[in-house]
Amino acid sequence: MKVFPDDLLYSREHVWVRVEGDLAIIGITDLAQEKLGEVHSIELPEIDSEVERDEPFGAVEAAKGTVELISPLTGNVINVNEDLIDDIGIVNSDPHDTGWMIVVEINDLDELDDLLDSRGYHDFILQEVEGD
Amino acid sequence: MAAWRLVPFQRYPPRENMAIDEAIFREVQRSGGPPTIRLYGWMSPAVSIGHFQHIDREIDLDACRQGGVTVVRRPTGGKAVYHDDDLTYAVIAGENNTLFPPTILETYRVISKCLVQGLHKLGLEAILAEEGRMQGQGSLEASCFSVPSLHELLVQGRKICGSAQMRSRGVFMQQGSLLMSFDPEKTCDIMLPHREPRANQVQALQEKVTSLYDHLPRSVTREDVCQSLIEAFQDEWAVSFAEGALTAAEEKLKDHLLATKYENLTKYSSQNPSPP
Repeated sequence: MKVFPDDLLYSREHVWVRVEGDLAIIGITDLAQEKLGEVHSIELPEIDSEVERDEPFGAVEAAKGTVELISPLTGNVINVNEDLIDDIGIVNSDPHDTGWMIVVEINDLDELDDLLDSRGYHDFILQEVEGD
Repeated sequence: MAAWRLVPFQRYPPRENMAIDEAIFREVQRSGGPPTIRLYGWMSPAVSIGHFQHIDREIDLDACRQGGVTVVRRPTGGKAVYHDDDLTYAVIAGENNTLFPPTILETYRVISKCLVQGLHKLGLEAILAEEGRMQGQGSLEASCFSVPSLHELLVQGRKICGSAQMRSRGVFMQQGSLLMSFDPEKTCDIMLPHREPRANQVQALQEKVTSLYDHLPRSVTREDVCQSLIEAFQDEWAVSFAEGALTAAEEKLKDHLLATKYENLTKYSSQNPSPP
């Protein structure tokens, strides 16, 4: 079973959030990257653009497929991980840390209440499997 | 298990085809509608490019204009596909459907196995590629058919069908093109890069790509192929298909997507840089 860090929050769309004050660092979970397979390309929003909760903020392409990235929060993008341009492989190799994707200034901190802690995300994954 | 809907074969204008597929996909996302298989053709020649492809680098737009070939962007990934005499399919279902494993490649394999069985019913021996294009080994050619990927369909070592997926909010869609016949010259005309001598490029493509009518008589009709594929999907998955048209919500969304998204091709063109 995969380990999901306790200091992150998780969406049901397999996106993680690290909260630092009113900023949210966002990436995809280890489970998401595993389902994708080897990532080839990524499309991320521009700095100063808005992302909206439950709406796509980008996409990743792996062998034979693309996956939309669904934003867990609404806010303004203040940073994008430029390291992914040089080494997209870190999305696969280190998804919960250096494979982060964007930093968002959170509009409404209450939106964090809808996210899951690591235990809740773990249970959610099990439910997804059992719901098959 | 939810009943499957079959949207039977019909030809549409190129951009409408993409709008229909995405409308079905979004409605399955939104309303949890039935898993769907759609078979379709193209009312006029078209080239579809992958979600991430850079138009100017991959497609000779002048050649397309001169040849009456419409360029459309697929919502799915992958490389460029020339659609003229092909049979295109879309499979749309929830990621939690028990028929499909969790990963993109495993799901791809499950669908490819159905296509193998469908071709087998027509008397054609197809196999799944055991190895294929991976990152770092990417082909420089724009054409989807230039290099087989893992689990793609090969007949006598040559690729006959190209497919790709998209996923979002727990739903996946796989689109694919099964070649009824293949025109390597036309493919070389519209896809970049153009290489010299051209005859070598055409020959190289001929050696890598095949089509149904390279192996089957013309008496085998498109309807026969559709029927074989439908039976194969039903047999392999032990499901029954119920024929159905688009819902009113899907029709409305299709019109919206057509007007707002599929008329626009500027993404990743020279006016708009490509992704990393």
